Amino acid sequence: MSQRPSYAVGTGLFIVLGFAALGYLATQTTSVANTSRGPSYTVEAHFANIGQLKERAPVKVAGVRIGQVQSIVLDPGKETADVKLAIDQRYDKIPTDSVATIFTSGLLGDQYVGIQYGSSAKPLANGGTLALTRPAQQLEEMLGKFFGAGGAADNLGGSYTVKARFTNVGALSAGAPVKMAGVAIGSVKSVLADPVKLDALVELSIDKKYAQIPDDSAAAVFTSGLIGTQYVAIQPGGSPDALKDGDELVLTQSALQLEDLIGKFLVSGSGDKKPDGAPASSSSSPAGKH
Amino acid sequence: MSAPRDNIVTRSLAQIGDCGLFLLQILAAIPRSLRHARETVRQLWFVGAMSLIIIMVCGLFVGMVLGLQLYDVLSIFGGTSATGTVVAIAIYRELGPVVTALLFAGRAGTSVTAEIGLMRATDQIAAMEMMAVDPIAYVAVPRFLAGVIAMPLLCCVFCALGIFGGHLVGVSWLGIDNGTFWSNMTATVDLVKDVLNGVLWKSVVFGGVVSLIAVFQGYTTPPTSEGVAYATTRTVVASSIAILALDFVLTAFLM
Repeated sequence: MSQRPSYAVGTGLFIVLGFAALGYLATQTTSVANTSRGPSYTVEAHFANIGQLKERAPVKVAGVRIGQVQSIVLDPGKETADVKLAIDQRYDKIPTDSVATIFTSGLLGDQYVGIQYGSSAKPLANGGTLALTRPAQQLEEMLGKFFGAGGAADNLGGSYTVKARFTNVGALSAGAPVKMAGVAIGSVKSVLADPVKLDALVELSIDKKYAQIPDDSAAAVFTSGLIGTQYVAIQPGGSPDALKDGDELVLTQSALQLEDLIGKFLVSGSGDKKPDGAPASSSSSPAGKH
Repeated sequence: MSAPRDNIVTRSLAQIGDCGLFLLQILAAIPRSLRHARETVRQLWFVGAMSLIIIMVCGLFVGMVLGLQLYDVLSIFGGTSATGTVVAIAIYRELGPVVTALLFAGRAGTSVTAEIGLMRATDQIAAMEMMAVDPIAYVAVPRFLAGVIAMPLLCCVFCALGIFGGHLVGVSWLGIDNGTFWSNMTATVDLVKDVLNGVLWKSVVFGGVVSLIAVFQGYTTPPTSEGVAYATTRTVVASSIAILALDFVLTAFLM
């Protein structure tokens, strides 16, 4: 056997190191680290709406990952999604009447399937079906419910219409709530641009229950929360006379543009706080002493 | 090679054409060069293992500076927990392969060009032909193969050190939670899309291109000291352009 060259060992070490690095990258830093190996069994769940759920999304019980989404197909002939879940074999005590729900991790996070245990003593078998499901919550719906809570006042007693003029209504649209003291008392009937006065003419349809609103009240276009919908707020005045059908609210306050507000906020609020240990603060202090 | 090439366009086109033909010659000579496997191992040691230090140090610093910059920017949006994810994706998809290839061209490509160029200038290649040793199979192919094999391995080491550097700055220094750093990374980084397409395919292609250019420039250099100097410069220039242009094309295809 000829003498082994001195570089052979080093080259071998280099190759081993390279493959070790590749193995590390592939198994520890990618989604492979999350997929569980080992035997699993499959159960089905039918959802009315899966939102943004993707294949390989986690399946969780009490926040703990027990499997992943295997496949998502549309049920033939029905408007429901057939989602197959691959669940680790060791979690084989899931009651048959458990509820599968599609949740979102955080406000903007990925979606996953959460299973809440039922009370049945019978565990789910391979190929079984989770009959009870709750579809994905659409963010739009939730925001609508949240911000428009009690948005539509009950219109049982009939309503009367008053007008208000704004120089800027922002994103106000017909159907938006009209609130007084935070309580919905009616809705916006129409939003039109006045071709003569060049401003926005808003018709407010107010429930007849609230017939005692002073006629010198002010109307303002507000936004619920940071990203909420806009509504018209009535700020009561002190006049003894009440608003009547067809009256006009003279005092109005236009919508604040979010862009303006954020612009003001960013300009005034920048640079007054730095995170601890940030490079800017640590590097500027020694420079200032010189 | 002998026809007068008057302007830069025809000269460049002729170079690209010659380079392509040279690649075919190399590929055709690969079976013949299997007898010189030990030479390939020696070149692998030379272009791969000897480049490890520079690749590791650069990878560490690239990861560290990415961690620092991303933390700074993401803290504006309150999203510092995404630092690990963005560091990993940026390194796997772009910085890892590209920076490794650029360093590889500077560290290994130039010395390959200079070595082959000097062999040419000192008539060693002509002497091999006289002795019925195929210079393509004995000189060109082992260096080409060594580059193709070494680049992906170097790129993996670069990426691993880059992640480590990002972790060092993000977690140890700036105080991102360790678990958040890793779980966000593993939740987003994909094996096929990021590691396979980014790290492996790109670096195999870059390794082939850089080695081809280096070997070709050395092999066709005018046999003068000035010619060797020019060939070495051209290796770096042509490799850098080819890497960055191919990076765009590959990204467009692999996305």
